[in-house]
Amino acid sequence: MDKLAKQLREDAKQIECEVSAQLDSRIRASLEGVQPEAPARPQRESKSFSFWWASSLTGIAAAIAIIVLINLQAPAPSRAVTEPAPQAFVVPAIEWHAKTAVFTTPLEQEIENLQADLKKAEDAVKQDIDRLF
Amino acid sequence: MSTEAALIEAARKGSAEAFTDLVGGYREGLLRFLLTRSASFADAEDALQDTLINAFRYLYSYDSRWRFSTWLYRIAINNAARIKVVDTVELGDLSDEGNDPLRHCIQASDRENLWSSARRLLSDEVYTAMWLRYVEDMSVNDISAVLERSVSWTKVNLMRGRKTLDAELNKDATDEKSKAYG
Repeated sequence: MDKLAKQLREDAKQIECEVSAQLDSRIRASLEGVQPEAPARPQRESKSFSFWWASSLTGIAAAIAIIVLINLQAPAPSRAVTEPAPQAFVVPAIEWHAKTAVFTTPLEQEIENLQADLKKAEDAVKQDIDRLF
Repeated sequence: MSTEAALIEAARKGSAEAFTDLVGGYREGLLRFLLTRSASFADAEDALQDTLINAFRYLYSYDSRWRFSTWLYRIAINNAARIKVVDTVELGDLSDEGNDPLRHCIQASDRENLWSSARRLLSDEVYTAMWLRYVEDMSVNDISAVLERSVSWTKVNLMRGRKTLDAELNKDATDEKSKAYG
C-alpha cells in the first residue's frame, strides 16, 4: 500500500462517529412501519408497446400529410423554351453489329419441367384422396 | 446461499429484523461517509435513516450481480444530495467551517486531516470516488456504478484526486521540515 492510501485510511479512522442508541431505535421503528414494495408488473410493457405503435402511426400520418400539402402548394414547373443548338460538328456514324439471341429454348424446357411437376403433384393428390376416402 | 443472500431474501419478504442484520455492518461506514457530505451531524443521521428506509422499501430492485454495498452507497449519495439541496437554502454554504460537522468529529491532530483537505480541494464526485476507493475498498467498476460514470472517467478522476492529495500531503511534510529547521 502506498503512503497516500495508508494516510487516507488512517485519517478516515480518525473521523469519530457511531450510530447512537437513539438513532438506532429511530431507524428500527421506521423500518417496522415500512413494507418492501413489489416489483412493477409487466403490464406496463404492453402499454408502452401500444404507445410506441400509436406514436409511430401518428408520426407517419403527419409525414404523409406534410408531403401531400407541399406537393399541392408547389407551383407548376414552367416550360423552358429551348432552342436547338447549332450543329457545329458532324457526329460520327456508329456501326452496329446485331446478332439474334435465342431465349425461347431454355424457357420452353423450363415450362415442360413445370408441367411435369404439376402432373406429378396432381397424381400424388389424387392418390392421397383415393386412399383417405 | 450466503448469509447476505439469505438475509436479502428474508428482507424482501418483509422481515425488518433480517434487514437490520443485513445493514448492521454498513451503518457506521455509511454514517461516516454521509457526515463528510452533510451540513450537520443531524443531517447525516437523517440521510442515513432515509437511506436505510429506501433500501428496505426498494430492495426488490437490488441486482445481485453487484455488491450490496455498491447499491447501498448509490442510495446514500442520492439522499445526501437531496438533503444538501434543501439545506443550502436553510443553513447556508457547506464551506462555512463553523457549520462543518466533519471538523467536530475529527480527532485533534498536528496536521489537517486529509479528508478535510480533500473536501476543500476536490469536487463532490471526485471526493466520493476517493472515499469509496480508499476507505470502502471498492473496485473501480463498483465506484463507476455508484457514481453512474464510465470506468475511464472514474480512473482518470481517481488519478487526479490522488495527485491533488499527494501534493497536499507533500506540502504538509515540507512545511513540517521547514519548521524543524527554523
